Amino acid sequence: MENEITKLRNIGISAHIDSGKTTLTERILFYTKRIHAIHDVKGKDGIGATMDSMELEKERGITITSAATFCKWKGHEINIIDTPGHVDFTIEVERALRVLDGAILVLCAVGGVQSQSITVDLQMKRYKVPCIAFVNKCDRSGADPFRVIKQLKEKLGHNAVAMQIPIGLEADLEGIVDLVTMEAVYFDGENGEIIRVEKIPELLLQKAEEQREELIDRASLFSDELTEAILGEKEIDPSLLLDALRKGTLTREITPVFMGSAYKNKGVQPLLDGVNHLLPCPADVENEAHDMNNNGTPVILSSNPEDPDVALAFKLEDGQYGQLTYIRVYQGNLSKGSTVINVRNGKKIKIGRLVRMHADQMEDIDSMPAGYIGAIFGVDCASGDTFVSPEINVSMTSMYVPDPVISLAIVPNDNKSQINMSKALNRFTKEDPTFKSYINEETGETIIEGMGELHLEVYVERMHREYNAQVTTGKPRVAYRETITQMAEFNYTHKKQTGGSGQYGRVAGYMEPCFDEDFIFENKVTRGSIPTQYISSCEKGFKQCMSKGPKLEFPVTGVKVVINDGAAHSVDSSEMAFQAAARGAFKEGYAKAKPIILEPVMKVVVETPTEFQGPVMGSLNQIRGMIVGSQEDGPMSVIEARVPLAEMFGYSTVVRSLTQGKAQFTMEFESYKQVPIQIADELIKKKIEEKDKNKKSK
Amino acid sequence: MQPKNQITDNPLKNIGYASDDILPDSGFGAVLARAGVGKTSFLVQIALNAMLRHKNVLHISLHDPVNKINLWYKEIFQLLTKKFGVGQARQLWETILPFRFILTMKVDGFSILRLEERLRDLTVQNIFLPRMVIIDGLPFDESIRKTLLDLKALVKDLDAHVWLTARTHRHESPQSDGLPIQMAEVKDLFDTIILLQPEGNNIYINSLKGGATNSHVIILEIDPSTMLIREKT
Repeated sequence: MENEITKLRNIGISAHIDSGKTTLTERILFYTKRIHAIHDVKGKDGIGATMDSMELEKERGITITSAATFCKWKGHEINIIDTPGHVDFTIEVERALRVLDGAILVLCAVGGVQSQSITVDLQMKRYKVPCIAFVNKCDRSGADPFRVIKQLKEKLGHNAVAMQIPIGLEADLEGIVDLVTMEAVYFDGENGEIIRVEKIPELLLQKAEEQREELIDRASLFSDELTEAILGEKEIDPSLLLDALRKGTLTREITPVFMGSAYKNKGVQPLLDGVNHLLPCPADVENEAHDMNNNGTPVILSSNPEDPDVALAFKLEDGQYGQLTYIRVYQGNLSKGSTVINVRNGKKIKIGRLVRMHADQMEDIDSMPAGYIGAIFGVDCASGDTFVSPEINVSMTSMYVPDPVISLAIVPNDNKSQINMSKALNRFTKEDPTFKSYINEETGETIIEGMGELHLEVYVERMHREYNAQVTTGKPRVAYRETITQMAEFNYTHKKQTGGSGQYGRVAGYMEPCFDEDFIFENKVTRGSIPTQYISSCEKGFKQCMSKGPKLEFPVTGVKVVINDGAAHSVDSSEMAFQAAARGAFKEGYAKAKPIILEPVMKVVVETPTEFQGPVMGSLNQIRGMIVGSQEDGPMSVIEARVPLAEMFGYSTVVRSLTQGKAQFTMEFESYKQVPIQIADELIKKKIEEKDKNKKSK
Repeated sequence: MQPKNQITDNPLKNIGYASDDILPDSGFGAVLARAGVGKTSFLVQIALNAMLRHKNVLHISLHDPVNKINLWYKEIFQLLTKKFGVGQARQLWETILPFRFILTMKVDGFSILRLEERLRDLTVQNIFLPRMVIIDGLPFDESIRKTLLDLKALVKDLDAHVWLTARTHRHESPQSDGLPIQMAEVKDLFDTIILLQPEGNNIYINSLKGGATNSHVIILEIDPSTMLIREKT
């Protein structure tokens, strides 16, 4: 591993779905001679692109997990992480951007700025990652790279500037004009590997000059020297222009835009030149940690290999040889055999095996200096853990983990699958913090939560393929409640006096709705009609009925019970007798108190571009939502509604498809409300069917 | 305990507004006052009255967010149910909530065209058909006449009536007809104009157009402790 940090680039490739990230990465690996043959993402040869090593990725033609590799280009060492474009796998983008120094934002020349482009742009902003843009698919019908540049400015607020103009477009795409060197570049050879430089075609000269002028003008804001050269009407040296652009790119004040077609092998090599010239090396980026010996005061890490080690674990993978932990070293030089401390739990760890990754293959190395990305084996840790040399105690902030938006109930088909499913869930939840699993205490169901239907679908499929766990998924059960709506009296006698020791107890009083508590018990018994020692038994009996309502066995809420009379027998009364009496009294009163079923209602807040306000409101209306209001703020609107939880299943998919993925929503519990009559009838019907089924099985 | 009916009584009936809705279909009403005197709370009471009679109210605010408007409604409703001794207020609130839709916009983002788009979103999909529209915070500037004429055309098809607030200023004297200067170019468009007039510790409700416009007799005022409309004490 070379150790000249200024010639090191750690970059991510991020974009909306199907923009061409993996294809671009494949070409990069080919031109840098990391691989010797190009394979398409979902190609006829069935091999698949290098970075899509998972079978599922090859089959579906999508990237599911991020994959790391490295290559060399013109004296620079480039670590690349190729990330998924689906929002469901957003955690992969989060972790990649957390540890990378720069990024290539890939945009489709036809689709332009799309929903996930917006999300990854936000992610890059979050971690302050400088980026260059690559407008891909310029060979496609409808391609218009300058429209995409305009969208970059308008929709993402970037100060985007073209570094090239295309020579031809769509099927006529031949090459690009480099506006820095003012040369035409063509890509010859079977795979575009031979670069041919020519004079700019006459027809494009004027446009090239106009665009170059704009490029120089924008770059001059970052360089006094360039400004002087412009004012002095001197020849602008390409290195002066590139230096200025680099300054602007590093501070995220300018976004240089390259263009081409990865699939048609055009424009990739100049993009690599752009990576070298414009994106930061690890020393250009200020990395912060928190000094745990000093109240978490921020400290800047030095990226000096001589200083104490600081590394961040950003991804875990469980494989046949144990846990593989991907790490980025920020300071020091992590060596095989060295000892580090996991700051989170204080455990000492000896570094056994250090590797560099190339998709799913690994190469053993002896050390990893600051600025490098690699992996360690056999270390038990969590994603986001910081490892440090024993002499320091700093911690790095982990990546942002978004909350899950969808849940499913999951049931193993047999006992063996139950065991395998548990193993699978343990592993997947450890590797992916956006994938959660828990047992619903109330319904007893195992619930899995994730970022979207695709996310959960992939894990269910992986459970089957990798753990042989056959499972059935379904809508999670809603936690309904029961309550009463009016006051009702009760007067119940529990009597079993058929010889020997009997049971006797009478409880009288009333129940009424109460809104502020689940259950209130009030004792208004006078003259000892129920002996004091049995009052608590009465309360116990009532409480037992509250856990399983007489109507449909849902938990009961909002009931106040007042006992004001009763009777006891000198011999046959007991705690058990009064508990039974209370239960009977509850059922008697409950039946007269007009019980109803309640369902959880959620406060749902949808943030959407204003243009989709209508469809979003319509969608909420369709799922029994009551819209409270809508707040318009320029191009975005926020719609607040109250929606029954039972209707929210699958809503994330609905809202995504209605808004081209541009809207987001949050959901939190608001209150319990009465279910409509038809829903109540359906629930009753279901309950009867369930009871019949249970009877038959007995 | 007073019967629920009293809470549904028209709060302005004693100053000559006999109809429950106060305004006719497609009619315009204006509530004028200086900043902070109580225009919003006044209209919220009118709106709650409509909601209690199961009439849909679209409350558009150009200044405040949805949460703040919602809070106004909750608080005034609670005060009203307490005043009229209404039991099971919580259930009543749940019952009337679907009769209200709050829409907030930035004042510089507001236009009749935009309002029309939003209304279309609501009406075409049968989400919400308003019978009363409140626009709180519309500036009465030089373009107000055109805005109001466009608004009239818009609500005509809905058979909805519209209440607007207009801010007056201490330094502005009323015109010769007694109407505030904000009404100068548009008084003919309004069926009802009400002025909330602070005098000392009192806030009087003065009907300037429509209703009983006998300016010598003030019958209604706003209770400064609750902001509820009441008969003058």
